[in-house]
Amino acid sequence: MRASLFITCYNDTLFPETGRAVVHLLERLGVTLEFNPGQTCCGQMHANTGFRAEAFSQAKRFVRLYQDAEAVVIPSTSCVAMIRDQYHGLFQELGNDALRQQLTSLLPRVYELSEFLIDHLGVDDVGAYFPHRVTYHASCHGLRGLHVGDRPFRLLSKVRGLELIPLDNLDRCCGFGGTFSIKNAEVSSAMLSTKLQDVLSTRAEYCTALDNSCLMHLGGATHREFAPVRTVHLAQILASTQSVPAESLA
Amino acid sequence: MSGARQQILDRIRRAISGGSAAPYSDLPRNYVRHGNLDEAARLSLMVERLQEYDADVVECTPDDLPACIADRLQSSGKHTFVAPPGLPVEWLAAGFDWKLDHGLTHAEVEACDGVVTACFAGVADSGTIVLHHSASEGRRILTLLPDWHLCVVRTSQIVETLPEYFARCPKPPALATYISGPSATADIEMTRIKGVHGPRFLHVILVHDEGLAEVRNDN
Amino acid sequence: MTPVDLDPRTAPTFPQAALPILRNAQLRKNVAHATDVIQAKRARLVAEKTDWQQLRTAAAAIKDDVLGHLDQYLVEFEERCTATGGHVHWASDAAEARSIAVEILRKEGATEAIKIKTMTSTEIQLNPALEAAGIKAVETDLAELILQLGDDEPSHIVAPALHVNRSQVREIFARRMGLADLTDDPEALTAAARAYLRKKFLSVDAAICGANFLVAETGAVTIVESEGNGRMCLTLPRTLIALSGIEKVVPTFRDLEVMLQVLARSATGERMNPYTSLWTGVTPGDGPQNFHVVLLDNSRSSILARHTERQTLRCIRCAACQNTCPVYRQTGGHAYGSVYGGPIGAILTPQLMHMDHAQSLPFASSLCAACYEVCPVKINIPEVLIELRAQVVDRERKQAARAFDLMYIGMRVANSIFASAWRFRLAQRMGRLALRPFTHKDGWIHALPSLGSRWTMTRDLRRLPDQTFRDWWAARPKDKV
Repeated sequence: MRASLFITCYNDTLFPETGRAVVHLLERLGVTLEFNPGQTCCGQMHANTGFRAEAFSQAKRFVRLYQDAEAVVIPSTSCVAMIRDQYHGLFQELGNDALRQQLTSLLPRVYELSEFLIDHLGVDDVGAYFPHRVTYHASCHGLRGLHVGDRPFRLLSKVRGLELIPLDNLDRCCGFGGTFSIKNAEVSSAMLSTKLQDVLSTRAEYCTALDNSCLMHLGGATHREFAPVRTVHLAQILASTQSVPAESLA
Repeated sequence: MSGARQQILDRIRRAISGGSAAPYSDLPRNYVRHGNLDEAARLSLMVERLQEYDADVVECTPDDLPACIADRLQSSGKHTFVAPPGLPVEWLAAGFDWKLDHGLTHAEVEACDGVVTACFAGVADSGTIVLHHSASEGRRILTLLPDWHLCVVRTSQIVETLPEYFARCPKPPALATYISGPSATADIEMTRIKGVHGPRFLHVILVHDEGLAEVRNDN
Repeated sequence: MTPVDLDPRTAPTFPQAALPILRNAQLRKNVAHATDVIQAKRARLVAEKTDWQQLRTAAAAIKDDVLGHLDQYLVEFEERCTATGGHVHWASDAAEARSIAVEILRKEGATEAIKIKTMTSTEIQLNPALEAAGIKAVETDLAELILQLGDDEPSHIVAPALHVNRSQVREIFARRMGLADLTDDPEALTAAARAYLRKKFLSVDAAICGANFLVAETGAVTIVESEGNGRMCLTLPRTLIALSGIEKVVPTFRDLEVMLQVLARSATGERMNPYTSLWTGVTPGDGPQNFHVVLLDNSRSSILARHTERQTLRCIRCAACQNTCPVYRQTGGHAYGSVYGGPIGAILTPQLMHMDHAQSLPFASSLCAACYEVCPVKINIPEVLIELRAQVVDRERKQAARAFDLMYIGMRVANSIFASAWRFRLAQRMGRLALRPFTHKDGWIHALPSLGSRWTMTRDLRRLPDQTFRDWWAARPKDKV
C-alpha cells in the first residue's frame, strides 16, 4: 500500500509536527509513504480570495505532480475541498481538456486523512493512546464540503484512554475562513469568541479537528488568554501510542 | 411603458439564449405526493394540528350539524353573525342576528361579531383550512374582519398532504385563502403572539360525512 | 444609535459597518436569540419531513426552469393577469418602478397607501418617492411598523425588527402612538398595534404589496404572511399595486405545492404560515377592483445572463440562510448596508448594483456553507461568493492604486513563491527569519505589524518551527520504512 503525502503549504511551514504524526501513523499501519518535494500549495487561498488567475497555476501543478500517485493523502479538509470542488471549474475556464481528464482520473485517488483511514485502509482502530479529555470541532469544509460524517468520531472512539466530550454547536464555523480572518478580523474574532465559549465549557484539555487552519485560529486565542485548553490536530492524537506519546504539544 | 417591456424581454432572451433546460414535464418530483394515513389517523392528525394552533375543534354527524352550529354560536356569547349568501339555510341557527352577505359594506361586516362558513378542503399535515370563496365560503372580507370564525369542514374534504389538495382542485381557483391557525406574530423577541389581524378565534366543526360512527369530543 | 445606511451606494463597507455593531451587546443578543429560535423550529420540521431533500431538489429545478424560460413565463403571466382584469407594467429599474407606482396612486387621488412588507419596495426606495409625491406610506407589518415609527431600518428578511427588544418597542409605541401607560408585554404591544392599524385598514383606499409567487399559468399572485395585515391590504382597498421582481414567477398553480412546503418551513419554522392568499386579476365584488402588477427588472436580467450567478435568482426570500449564518449571527443585517443582508444579501446586493457598489459584501463570509445546506432552492452561495470575489479582484487589480495595496502585492508574491519548490523553500526560510524579531521567549508571536496586526489583534501566532516538514522528511534516513 503506497500513498503520496500532500502536506499542504501551511502544515509544512507552521505545523510540521502534524506531518510527522501522519507519517508515523501511516507507517505504523503499513503504508509506504512518498513525499514529492515539488509540492507547494493547492491554490485555495488565491481562489477563495478572488485571485483566480493565480490559482490556475497552482491547480495545474498539483494535478501534474500527482497524476501517477496510487493515492494522495492530505491532512486538511479545506485543501481537499478545494481540489474536489473547484479544480474542475478552473480547468474548464482554462479550456484545458487534457487537464480536466487528468483531474477526473486523479480525484478518486485523493483522500483527506480520515477518509484515507476509514475508506481506503478500512480501519478505525489505529492503536492510538491519548489519555485526555478531548473535544472535537467539525471544520466546515470537512463537514459540508467533504461530508466526512462520523469518520472522525469512529476514529476517536477507538483511541484508548481518550474521553470525548461533545462540543455544543460543533458544526458552527470558528470564524477563520482563510483571508476572512484578516479582511474581516473583527467579525472573525467575534465568531472565534463565540466558538471559544463552547470549547471552554466542555472543560476539555484538548480541542481537536481535521484542519490546522481552524486550530491555529482557536489555539491562537486560547494561548493569548492563557485558557486551560490546547489545540491538537487529529493526526497527532491518532499517532500517539503508549510507547510513543504525541510530541510535546503547543 | 411598452418600451421597458420590450427592452426587458430582449435582455432576458439574450441572457438565456443557447440554454438547454430539461422540459417542464421532466422536472424531478420525487417528493411525497400522497399520504399514507388511513382515514381515522388522518382526521386525528387534522384535529391535533388544529388544536396546536389553539383552534377549537368539535366533531359531529351530518344530522347533528345544525344543532352543533347552534351550540357553538351559543357558547361564543356573540350575537351578530355574517353569513355567505350560499350558506345552507339550516345552518342559520335561530336566536341570532344574521347578516346575509348580499353586498354588505365594509362597515357592516366590521360590525358583525362573527362569521360562519363552509370550506373547500382541509390539509391534515399542516392543519390548514382552504377557502376558495365560493358562495358557501363567502367573499374574502367575511373571514377577515369579524373576530370569530366558525368553519364547517366535512371529513371527506380532508386530505393528508398539500400535494393531494392541489390534485383535488378541478381547476386552479381564482381566489384562495389558506388558513393555518389564527394570525400570529413573532416580531417582538420571537415571542409568538396570536391574533394580530384577522379573526382571533377560529372554531372548527368536523362533520363525519364518510361514515365514521364514533364521535369524539375531547373538549 | 448609529444611523443605519441601507443604500448600497453610500453604505460603509462591511468591516466598517460591522465594528460598532459588534460593540452593541444588546443587538448581538437579540440577533442570536432570534436566529436560534427560528433555526431550532426549522430544524425540527425539516427532520420530520422525510421528503425534504426531494422537495429542495424539486424547488430548485422548478426555479431553474423558470429562469431558463423566463420570457415565456412572464408573457404568459401578463396575458392571464390582464385577461382577468389586472394591469401589468414593466419597470427596467427602480426609478421606473417608483414612477409607475406614484402615477397609479396619483391618478386615484390617493394621499395614503397601506403597505404589506415587501423587500422589493425597500430595494427601489419607494417610500421616499411616495412622500415626495404627497402620498403617505403606512407600513402595516408589526415589524415594519416598529421600524417606521422608530425611524429604523430592517435587519432581517423575515423578521425585520429582530434587533429590537420589547422595551425598545414599548418606548417607540408609547411615544408615537401616545400611549403613556403601555407595558412592554408583547401581548399589550401587539394589541396596541392592532388598534392603531385597524383604523388605517378600514379607511385607506390604496395598498402596495409585494409578491411571493406569480403563477404564469393563471395570472395569480400569491402572498404568504403571518399577521393578517396582508389580507387586510389585499382585500379592503379599491386600488392594489403588487411589486414583484421578474424572478418571482412559477410555471403552474400546482408548483405551489412544492414552493409553499419549503417556504414556510424555511422562513418561520412552520409547516404552513397562518395566512396564504391567492388572487387572480380582479374578482367583481371581492377585493380591489383596480389591480396593478409592476414587474421589476433592476439588474435581474444581468444576473440571469451569468452562468454561475444565475442561481441567485432562485431565491424565495425565506431568510433561512440569514438564520444559520455564523457571520450574520454576530452582526445582524445592518452591517450589510442593504435591505438584503446575510448570505443572500452578500451575493444579491452587489449584483443588483452591477458590481459597482457593495464590493466588500462577497468577502463578508468565511465560506462555511451553512447557508447552502439550508437553502430550500439549493443556491450554492459559497460558489457565487467565490465567483463574485474574482470579479471584484479582476476589476480592482487594474487600478493604479493596487500597486501599493499590500494584499495585492502579497498575493502576487505568494503566487510566484508557490510556482516553484525552491522558491517556496526559500520563502519558508525567509519567513522564519523575518518573524524572529517578533518571536518571544515562549516561542510565540504576540504582535505583528501591518496586515499581520489584523491577526495578532486577538490571536497569538506560534513561531515558525526551525525545521519545516519537508526538511525533516529530507533528513530522514532513507532506509526507514
